[in-house]
Amino acid sequence: MKRYIVKRVGFAAISLVLLSVTIFLLVRLTGDPTVLLVEPGASQADMEAIRKQFGLDRPLWVQYGHFVSSLVRGDLGHSFYYRTPVLELYLSRLPSSLLLASAAMAFSLVIGIPTGIIAAVRVNQWWDSAGKVFALLGLSLPSFWVGLLLILFFSVYLGWLPSSGSGTAAHLLMPAFALGWYFAAAHMRLTRSSMLDVLGSEYVKLARLKGLPEALVIGKHAFKNALIPVLTLAGINLVIMVNVAVVVETVFAWPGIGRLLYEGIAFRDFPVVQATVILNGAMVVVVSLLVDILYAVIDPRIRFAR
Amino acid sequence: MTRSGRRDVLRVCSLLLALVVVAAVASRADAQGGRSEAPAGQMTWAVHFSLAPTFFDPAETPGIITPFLVLYALHDGLVKPMPGKPQAGSLAESWSVSADGLVYEFVLRPGVKFHNGDPVTTEDVKFSFDRYKGAGATIMKARMAAVEVVDQQRIRFRLKQPWADFMTFFGTPATGAAWIVPKKYVEQVGDEGFKKAPVGAGPYRFVAFKPGVELILEAHEDYWRKTPAVKTLVLRHIPDESTRLAALKRGEVDVAYSITGPLAEEVKRSPGLALAPTYFTFTTWLVSTDKWDSKSPWHDRRVRRAANLAIDRAGINNAVYLGLSKLAHSFIPQGMEYFWAPPPYLFDAKAAKRLLVEAGYPNGFDAGDLTGDTIYGVAIGEPVANYLQQVGIRVRLRPMERVAFFKEYGEKKLSGVIFSGSGAPGNAPTRLEQYAVTGGRYTYGAYPDVDGLFTEQVNEMNPRVRQQILHKMQQLIHEKVMFGPVIEPAFLNGVGPRLEVHGLGLVANHAYSAPYEDLRLRKP
Repeated sequence: MKRYIVKRVGFAAISLVLLSVTIFLLVRLTGDPTVLLVEPGASQADMEAIRKQFGLDRPLWVQYGHFVSSLVRGDLGHSFYYRTPVLELYLSRLPSSLLLASAAMAFSLVIGIPTGIIAAVRVNQWWDSAGKVFALLGLSLPSFWVGLLLILFFSVYLGWLPSSGSGTAAHLLMPAFALGWYFAAAHMRLTRSSMLDVLGSEYVKLARLKGLPEALVIGKHAFKNALIPVLTLAGINLVIMVNVAVVVETVFAWPGIGRLLYEGIAFRDFPVVQATVILNGAMVVVVSLLVDILYAVIDPRIRFAR
Repeated sequence: MTRSGRRDVLRVCSLLLALVVVAAVASRADAQGGRSEAPAGQMTWAVHFSLAPTFFDPAETPGIITPFLVLYALHDGLVKPMPGKPQAGSLAESWSVSADGLVYEFVLRPGVKFHNGDPVTTEDVKFSFDRYKGAGATIMKARMAAVEVVDQQRIRFRLKQPWADFMTFFGTPATGAAWIVPKKYVEQVGDEGFKKAPVGAGPYRFVAFKPGVELILEAHEDYWRKTPAVKTLVLRHIPDESTRLAALKRGEVDVAYSITGPLAEEVKRSPGLALAPTYFTFTTWLVSTDKWDSKSPWHDRRVRRAANLAIDRAGINNAVYLGLSKLAHSFIPQGMEYFWAPPPYLFDAKAAKRLLVEAGYPNGFDAGDLTGDTIYGVAIGEPVANYLQQVGIRVRLRPMERVAFFKEYGEKKLSGVIFSGSGAPGNAPTRLEQYAVTGGRYTYGAYPDVDGLFTEQVNEMNPRVRQQILHKMQQLIHEKVMFGPVIEPAFLNGVGPRLEVHGLGLVANHAYSAPYEDLRLRKP
């Protein structure tokens, strides 16, 4: 087991190193950020001064060396645009992102799991078809479009909810719905297929033969086992939600990490993009590592597999 | 005269005296724009870009206009653009230039205080200039021999050589060098601390800032010019244009910056809302890179003139900017100092075709790419390309991502026709230097006579003579048809019903609401 964990941690570390190299090089392929920090037509002297200030006048390998040595010390650099430490910026946005992701996750589970169960229990009936339409819409409608429709309907026409911003529960409802909508559909589909697998299993048939009430068969015997893959996916999706909320956070002016990344990309703010991608990547790597380890703890076959 | 008669005379005299005193006080208050009422209410803006702490420190002002949105509220400058005045004395009561053009002396306005109660002194002015590291800092400091504090009211900026553009750099948004910070406070809290809790001498003081969310400011009642009428200002960042409009419609914000296209039409249609365009030193124009190649059709002046006549500027303005932009006939913006107004290019497709025939291109010609950025290069570039096609100048629209576009533009790697644009602050010579003179960052070719005039005006200290030279220079550029000016795009904003004075367009060449102390809410 110890060897297995060390191996997985090693893989995780290699993934992060590769991620850091990739993102460092990729952001620099996008061009010179000084162009966006001054008006077109600004003097050459001003542009040179900015390049010097941000260390962009140094050779690439020197920049990378500085980046890595700072990273090891926990210093993610200073934002070109905000001119403040990136870690400070990231941490100030993280609570908002986690709050939004948690609310969106709660919404997606509350909607996705019951509809998935009903669709599986009433397979090939009206409820199942309705569930399929719901899943299709959830997976195909872009979140920015859903977001704008929500604003138009609930803010502009009905006047019930604030159009954007953060601070109260009312601010959270629409972005959480827009973000959770896609994931609700994904959870519904997985719950349905998982339930169908379980409902067709021998022990469920036995439970029915024993004359247990259908509600007990579904609720106690089938649902509990069908829930395992759904919750595994939900755990990973929670991390993904933090990372993919760029569009929703932009539409609703939600001050999360997604918007920070969006601004970083828009302004070619290399330190912000690098730090956000690395920290978000680290989040995914760590969660995947934990899932791997948990699986190995639960199922010994995994840890002994080559 | 009887005793009662004397009393009556005394009463009348007293009354008259009282009236005179009241009138004098009222006229003085009026002259200063002073107001006696306490500030009240809140005004909220939906801002299209994220506010950064770097905007709170004038020392870090980059060469873009955005920080001035905050600077006009938090800070004050010795000299700054104000309504009706491109350079108005603000913290400086007056200033003068020595006969040799080497010394600029500023006299501080007495009794002005920072938000923390410290007086604004000449030491603060020197300190602010010395620590300035934003746009233009290299040029300004290289030309400066010394900054001398004469006494508590007077400070001198001594130049190494006469510099005609000193005040353009110092007293306009070209730099933030004239904006003053409190020396004692900055030394006490440090640069980072200052950005977290800035203290200035502006009409509004800092209350709270949530990065990426909002900036809250409160009226500085002792502001020297007048007590602001609105107590609280909230600058809220809403990146999405549709959401900004939704917030405006709901009354969550009073001003929504940057509303374009169909959404601007929606503002116009919505009862209670109004569209308020502003203008800054931004204009767009075409550049032919092949003009300098004797084998290219663009080498012929008639072809370049044909291209100018082929573009229906008013049509583009109506279609893209609801008719609110300014038509450009020069690549120098109309609001810039030393601008020369050329004869307008009137849309005449027939004349354009005739000129092409005369130049030997009766069937038109393939003009290659029309390269621009993905914002204006598409919004305005696309209709321009269509108009050129209609007379036979066949161009292919090639939008490039903004950074890549300006990189290739600056490195002279683009070919065909460039859809160019600039909003850099400054004056006509600073714009000419970058685009029309040999050695300019974006100059693809230049004429010796234009270059000669540019060199001539650099050290000319007489503004009238300098203006003549610069006008002659622009006239030559027009005669040679060096560029194809298109439009000076308006910056469109939505305004809500609660505002009596929104401040948009009060200060020339400033895109945002200002001066903040002049803003007023309607009385309920």
